[in-house]
Amino acid sequence: MRKSQGTWGLQWLLRMSSDKQDTLLKMVILSVAAILAFSTRLFSVLRFESVIHEFDPYFNYRTTRFLAEEGFYNFHNWFDDRAWYPLGRIIGGTIYPGLMVTSAFIYHVMNYFHLTIDVRNVCVFLAPLFSSFTTIVTFFFTRELKDASAGLVAAAMLSIVPGYISRSVAGSYDNEGIAIFCMLLTYTLWIKAVKTGSIFWGSLCSLAYFYMVSSWGGYVFLINLIPLHVLMLMFTGRFSHRIYVAYSTVYCLGTILSMQISFVGFQPVQSSEHMAALGVFGLCQIHAFVDYLRSKMSSDHFNILFRSLVLLVGSIAFGAAAVATALGKIAPWTGRFYSLLDPSYAKNNIPIIASGVMVRLMLVLAPVMCVLGGIGMSAVLTTYMKNLDNPLKKEKKSTKKIESNYPLKNEIATCVVIMMTAFLMFYTYHCTWVTSEAYSSPSIVLSARGGDGSRIIFDDFREAYYWLRHNTPEDAKVMSWWDYGYQITAMANRTILVDNNTWNNTHISRVGQAMASPEEKAYEIMRELDVGYVLVIFGGLTGYSSDDINKFLWMVRIGGSTDRGSHIKEWDYYTPQGEFRVDKEGSPTLLNCLMYKMCYYRFGSVYTEGGKPTGYDRVRNTEIGNKDFELDVLEEAYTTEHWLVRIYKVKDLDNRGA
Amino acid sequence: DKTSYRVTLRSALDSGKTTVVEVEAIYSHVLRPYPSEIAQAEKQLVVLEANLYFYSPYPTTSQTTTVVTTSSNVESYTKTKPVSQSDTSIIYGPYEDKAAFAEAPLKVHEENNSPFLTVTSMERVVEVSHWGNIAVEEHIDMTHTGASLKGSFSRFDYQRQQDGLASIKTFKTSLPASARDVYYRDEIGNISTSHMREMDESVEVELRPRFPLFGGWKTRYFLGYNVPSYEYLFFKDDHYALKMRFIDHIYDDMVVDEMQLRIILPEGVKNIELKIPFEVERRGDQVHYTYLDTLGRPVVVLNKNNLVEQHIQDFELHYTFQRLLLLQEPLLVVGAFYLLFLVVIIYVRLDFAITKDEAKESRMRVAGFIDEVQNAHDRRSALYQSYDDAINKFKSSKDAAAFTASRKKIDVDYKQLTQQIQNIQAQLKTEGAEASEKVAELQRLDSLYKEQVGLAIMAAEKLVAGKMGRQQYLDAEAATTSKCDDTYKKMESLRATL
Repeated sequence: MRKSQGTWGLQWLLRMSSDKQDTLLKMVILSVAAILAFSTRLFSVLRFESVIHEFDPYFNYRTTRFLAEEGFYNFHNWFDDRAWYPLGRIIGGTIYPGLMVTSAFIYHVMNYFHLTIDVRNVCVFLAPLFSSFTTIVTFFFTRELKDASAGLVAAAMLSIVPGYISRSVAGSYDNEGIAIFCMLLTYTLWIKAVKTGSIFWGSLCSLAYFYMVSSWGGYVFLINLIPLHVLMLMFTGRFSHRIYVAYSTVYCLGTILSMQISFVGFQPVQSSEHMAALGVFGLCQIHAFVDYLRSKMSSDHFNILFRSLVLLVGSIAFGAAAVATALGKIAPWTGRFYSLLDPSYAKNNIPIIASGVMVRLMLVLAPVMCVLGGIGMSAVLTTYMKNLDNPLKKEKKSTKKIESNYPLKNEIATCVVIMMTAFLMFYTYHCTWVTSEAYSSPSIVLSARGGDGSRIIFDDFREAYYWLRHNTPEDAKVMSWWDYGYQITAMANRTILVDNNTWNNTHISRVGQAMASPEEKAYEIMRELDVGYVLVIFGGLTGYSSDDINKFLWMVRIGGSTDRGSHIKEWDYYTPQGEFRVDKEGSPTLLNCLMYKMCYYRFGSVYTEGGKPTGYDRVRNTEIGNKDFELDVLEEAYTTEHWLVRIYKVKDLDNRGA
Repeated sequence: DKTSYRVTLRSALDSGKTTVVEVEAIYSHVLRPYPSEIAQAEKQLVVLEANLYFYSPYPTTSQTTTVVTTSSNVESYTKTKPVSQSDTSIIYGPYEDKAAFAEAPLKVHEENNSPFLTVTSMERVVEVSHWGNIAVEEHIDMTHTGASLKGSFSRFDYQRQQDGLASIKTFKTSLPASARDVYYRDEIGNISTSHMREMDESVEVELRPRFPLFGGWKTRYFLGYNVPSYEYLFFKDDHYALKMRFIDHIYDDMVVDEMQLRIILPEGVKNIELKIPFEVERRGDQVHYTYLDTLGRPVVVLNKNNLVEQHIQDFELHYTFQRLLLLQEPLLVVGAFYLLFLVVIIYVRLDFAITKDEAKESRMRVAGFIDEVQNAHDRRSALYQSYDDAINKFKSSKDAAAFTASRKKIDVDYKQLTQQIQNIQAQLKTEGAEASEKVAELQRLDSLYKEQVGLAIMAAEKLVAGKMGRQQYLDAEAATTSKCDDTYKKMESLRATL
């Protein structure tokens, strides 16, 4: 070389052939995106500890531990007597096992190679790990749709998109964490199958679909979206043999595979949520058949035949559907599905699943939006980057400018590129901020800023659960509102009456009735249900607003929603003006019900804030109405340091004659 | 059911002489809470029931017994005369001439609010790494064995009146001074309520259980830390000795009912020998697998019941270990990565396709040719430099013969390379690649360059021969150099776009 200029590293890169440069750049960008996806989800682990978040993940964690310890067969046949006392729950048949199987698989593989990582850590880091996989899959998906550069932008955007992060931070061990990966994988393979028309890709797609079905109830999206895609292709006249092969393979294999999940069972051929797929499958056959006939017949003959066939098949199909619905073979559309389409449906009709619907919708749409955004961004940038003047080729500049009939080409391009860069930077800042502020608190540990700026940690939940675990009889039954069910079984290892699975409304209603009734009435219910301890969450001392008093109206509503609870009327708990208050003005029914008494027992003598009377509730911002009362059938068993959790022991019946 | 201890005197005791023997005996669980259940605000009372006399196989001539109580509030005590009670002690005796194995009841009922904390079972795991670290982890189950709590626990009273005298809020554990990375956890995660203080001869950790312990309440926690191995592990050649405490301080006046010590030694350790100052039960050794293990690590398991502070003593564990085995695990990792890269290289380099893809193969052949062209061109560029060097040398030495010789030599190399590129260009053409045109362009530029080199040589020869003036030569040289640079730049950019 005549003159060796520049640093070695740059030379080395520049002297590579462009093919190699391309591959290297792609791999570097993709791995950086994947690493970013993993590490941006670790805020809570670094700030708090490696701990499972929220409520549902505790159930998943518990079942995963069971699966890892007992093996798949026992897991499949697991009857859980720790939940829904006295009914119990058949866990094996009522969950999507994909998540647990994945974790247990990773756990066993790691331990086979003597990488002794425990189940908890596998669970905590599973969602970030799968986010990395999702990032990579997004790249391939977008590359199938457009090109590699769009794929890279989409992958980078997906790695930090808040909608997805909300359900996949470290510790948020939930089905959605892996389901989004499965969903995108299925999309990718589906597109691949449609493009190639090969049975191989179709089969892979149905395997991915099977994984999706095994891990999340949201697979219903897929089994409706894929047929929708096919249907649109049919309407736009782009139906071809490739699509026929792809769809037939995916539908048949996918449906058979999905029926292997015991929780899904025969739904794919019975419930109406899956009927669209079946209908499109039939339509595919007819379309293919019609195409075949058309190629063999004259057009006049064909038209006659076509009309008569449509009439016949239409009426038969309609009749069959009507009969099947009448016989109850096809289940009507379930509420969860409606609520996906129309979030207000859940609010009005099924209170229990109202929350979380928007989150799910966001979750499903976020990756799609990232893919679209990636395509758009990449298209804009590619277009305008070309218009930028290359500072390395200055000599050509003058000639170019005269030829061009595009004034200020370079300046406009610069503006657009800077704008896009700014957008991307804002996006990154926003995502990081949202992740760190909104989605990275484990919610089992609360933290607040103290007066001197230091961080105060409220670890009351675990304090209470740990107390239950070690200081109550092993077979004690704990009654609480259903929100805390999963946490109590997982952390306190005690039997509970209702949990977050909410499959039995009457049982939940019974608990609601107990909470909403006065002591004597509640005692009957608690004796009936063998309750040993009652647990309530009370935020009045600390100002923790999602406590049981604020949830109390739900307990009243759900409690009053069955026959046995018909005496509980929501209006009794309001003031005559229709307000829900806990102060002196509050309704006497409220001030004497079990929940009120458990929350405010002895609270009437506590000073909570300077300048305020005793018993001042810092959530409701009022002085409580009923201060001085004793409990007859319960005794305070434990109250945590900040009074967040209060546990009461149900007294035994009095001795005769006492 | 008598247990005897043999006392060996330092020197034989002649008849009629006396000697002083001090015997310290420690009993656990002899204080019985009475009443056995108290409410939160009540005080805790305990009963001591013991033998008033010195229990020995020999007659006792004279004895006194002193009972030290924790408070001056003594409900009742045995009043076998002579007895006297002062503030916190009750003194019995002196009693004269008691027979061997004499027994008489001694009963003291007093207020005692000291926390009756008992470790019901504990497991201490010591993991030795020859890389310089020893990890210690203790799993501790503890119970408040005082009078159990009767009725309800009221947080209000507990906070307002500071009652619950006999309850345990915190306790202090002393760790070795070199302890690092201390953690305090339990089955459900980190316990955030602890404080650490580093002192001169120890690290003091103030542990607060998740909840205050009242009588009968239990808890369980893990405490772990690392210490550097040079303080505890000694070696000479292949012989190693681990010298550590069998049990460490947990809290003052501790009582441990059951304990298991597990010492995890590195893989490949042999000839394990244990020396310990007191009797322990050694069960069969176990095998433990962790990161990168193949054969597993030997684990020495020791059990002992009923321990107190006086058991904080060192054990010695001698074993042999070949130091080369230290490299086994890093080599394992290296090997694994080597294999991985090898597999990737094989996969990328070899074609596993069943069908032949003409277009792709042609593309790969073209890429190969271009690589060759680039290499040849790079070597040719190096030759340009050789020309320059030869000319400069010629100008200073004025040795025409040597110059011609070196020029010839370079010319041969140059021609060969140019011919090679020419050949490749022909092959590229048959592949129908557009790169062939670029190579032709490269050749054209090169011949331009060569022309300039020829001019430079001629000018230099003229200069040396005196046929050209100095100034004239410099102008000519500047012209050729600028042209050369220009062409060179073009060639380089062309080369990069091949």
